[in-house]
Amino acid sequence: MMMSRMLRIAAAIAVSGALAACSGSAASPSPKVYTYKDMTVGFIQTGSESGWRAANTSSFKETATADGINLKFYDSQNKIENQITAFNQYIQDPAVNVIILAAVGTTGYDDVLKAAKAANKVVVIEDRRIEADASLYYTYIGSDFDKEGNNGAAAMCTALKGMSGANVVEIGGDQAASAAIDRAKGFREGIANCTDESIKILDTQSAPAWDPVQGKAIMESDLKKYSGQIQGVYAHNDELAIAAIQAIDAAGLKAGTDVKVIGFDATADGFKYLISGEMFADIECNPLLAPQVYKAALDALNGVTGQAAWVPSQEGQFFASQGADALKAILATRKY
Amino acid sequence: MNGSFSRTWGRLTESMLFLPTAALLLILIADFFLIPGFFSIQLKGGHLYGNLIDILVHGSPTMILAMGMTLVIATGGVDLSVGAIMAITSSVACVMINPTIVGMNLTDPQKFINDPQYTWAPLWAVIVVPMVIATLCGLWNGVLVAYGRIQPMVATLVLMIAGRGIAQLITNAIQIIIFNDTYAFIGNGYILLPFSLYVAVAVFIGAWLLTRRTSIGVFIESVGINYRSSFYSGINEKKIKLFAYGFCGFCAGIAGLIVTSNIRTSDANQIGMYTELDAILAVVIGGTLLGTGGRFSLMGSAIGALVLQTTITSMLSFGVPASAVIAVKALVVIAVVLLYAEQVKGFVRRLGSSSLRRETAQ
Repeated sequence: MMMSRMLRIAAAIAVSGALAACSGSAASPSPKVYTYKDMTVGFIQTGSESGWRAANTSSFKETATADGINLKFYDSQNKIENQITAFNQYIQDPAVNVIILAAVGTTGYDDVLKAAKAANKVVVIEDRRIEADASLYYTYIGSDFDKEGNNGAAAMCTALKGMSGANVVEIGGDQAASAAIDRAKGFREGIANCTDESIKILDTQSAPAWDPVQGKAIMESDLKKYSGQIQGVYAHNDELAIAAIQAIDAAGLKAGTDVKVIGFDATADGFKYLISGEMFADIECNPLLAPQVYKAALDALNGVTGQAAWVPSQEGQFFASQGADALKAILATRKY
Repeated sequence: MNGSFSRTWGRLTESMLFLPTAALLLILIADFFLIPGFFSIQLKGGHLYGNLIDILVHGSPTMILAMGMTLVIATGGVDLSVGAIMAITSSVACVMINPTIVGMNLTDPQKFINDPQYTWAPLWAVIVVPMVIATLCGLWNGVLVAYGRIQPMVATLVLMIAGRGIAQLITNAIQIIIFNDTYAFIGNGYILLPFSLYVAVAVFIGAWLLTRRTSIGVFIESVGINYRSSFYSGINEKKIKLFAYGFCGFCAGIAGLIVTSNIRTSDANQIGMYTELDAILAVVIGGTLLGTGGRFSLMGSAIGALVLQTTITSMLSFGVPASAVIAVKALVVIAVVLLYAEQVKGFVRRLGSSSLRRETAQ
């Protein structure tokens, strides 16, 4: 507590010092220039359902502390009605000037967005896409799940190169999540463009609520139903990919050589399976969005316009073929 | 000849094991015709492999839960918190193997990747501590029910709701992946047959000896039938209940360890989700009466657990989406309720005698 307060003060001094240095010569009475320490953010998070989400939450909390932003955090436990309640509360709170939303669903936010606009609050959407008029919020910063799916497909094409008529099974995430919907869509677009081999999706099943127990059971039954026919597994996140690897092991096959597994998120756990070679590729989904989101909110407060309606986050992809040592070096620098 | 058939039929249908066994056979026969290769069992990597083996692997946690649940239901109660207790145990075990997630700094963080035997706490502690915690959770339920005189459904609801939150607090709401191979053996290992099955059989034998070779079993039944008269006949009804709930928590602890080791993850949100209902359903299929308690059958509950798991595995290999399997479970519930209705029971019993009457008339 003491530490964080000292950090905050230090950050405030640094920022105001820097500002004094910049604005020293500009004497004209300009509109108030906001800095991070003038920002009070109401952050409405979806909940705490996965390792990805935990990293996302701590990104917002840590960055706020470091930059001296006053953060009010709300965990909506994956319920839209909770998010609406929190939204209204932040609109009425005179201290809050920025509202950040990680939406649980894709629709149903129009009224609160309008109310926020009327109350002159800056709204930035993070992580999940919503279906609402883009003029109602400042910008959306989140992953391009569709493109992630394309990348996954490209990785699958590489993995199964030289096999004519390779077969893939898909273990999907929760059917309602935009991440799962778009990763499935992007994958299908991607493998259609696969140049020198034809990849067939033998079977596709979704694990409700991204449950790895279900994911493993799905993989087990797939391995028996299509015994000896599966060359690739396309799993919608790392947890599901790892569950599939367990099932592949139990079937007496070797993940990495007999069956190529591709996962998403590139969490530290996924990395460990990349290093052991059991996972072929891991497509990153970056949860550390806070710096980008806070920057956008600050721009909005300062009246910067011309921002894009959607700023895709910066993401990479990692392959087992990069070698264990190189991957270990990358893992050591990563925060999630 | 016919008379002896009728008598055997009568005795068969009277047995508590008749309906669960019949249900299990019925599902397996349907699988035989509908799913080609369902019964194929191969030797792969030094162990047996096939759909039937999967049923045993995934059925064993439910079987273990059902053992504890049988005793609780026999005392006239019910325990809704076993799923949450599973989540707590899995979280505790995973944090003890890998405490980096809760902010502890290890001297060599790469050890998790390089050493497949690495755990932070010694392995025996990783198994014993969660089990003790699970048993304490069970005893907490027991205290509320026996000494607090709270309705079992309400008393165990407390932990059912709070437990998952506790589990998330322990792991910081992060899913911890386990890399320790020895620990993973509990749920993934095979000694020809899945290791978890041996655990389930051990729990079954332990529970059977405890209830059938000592007087505890009789006490439990008498408490279920009428706790007041048990009290007046000198049975310490409160201690019996405390024992039943404590044992149920202990079983939930074992089941939690098996499930988390099977998927090598602590998933506080999903581990043990709805398993309390599976366990209750297994006990009910096994013929122990929910609500009234009394006479119980451990074997019936074990078969009940297999009936449930066979249904789920069959549905998955039949191609029913994982999200729709719950709906199929609902059909099983309806079927069970119908089968146990007195009218249907009487009809089945009469089947034997009416066939006899027809034959004598001719």
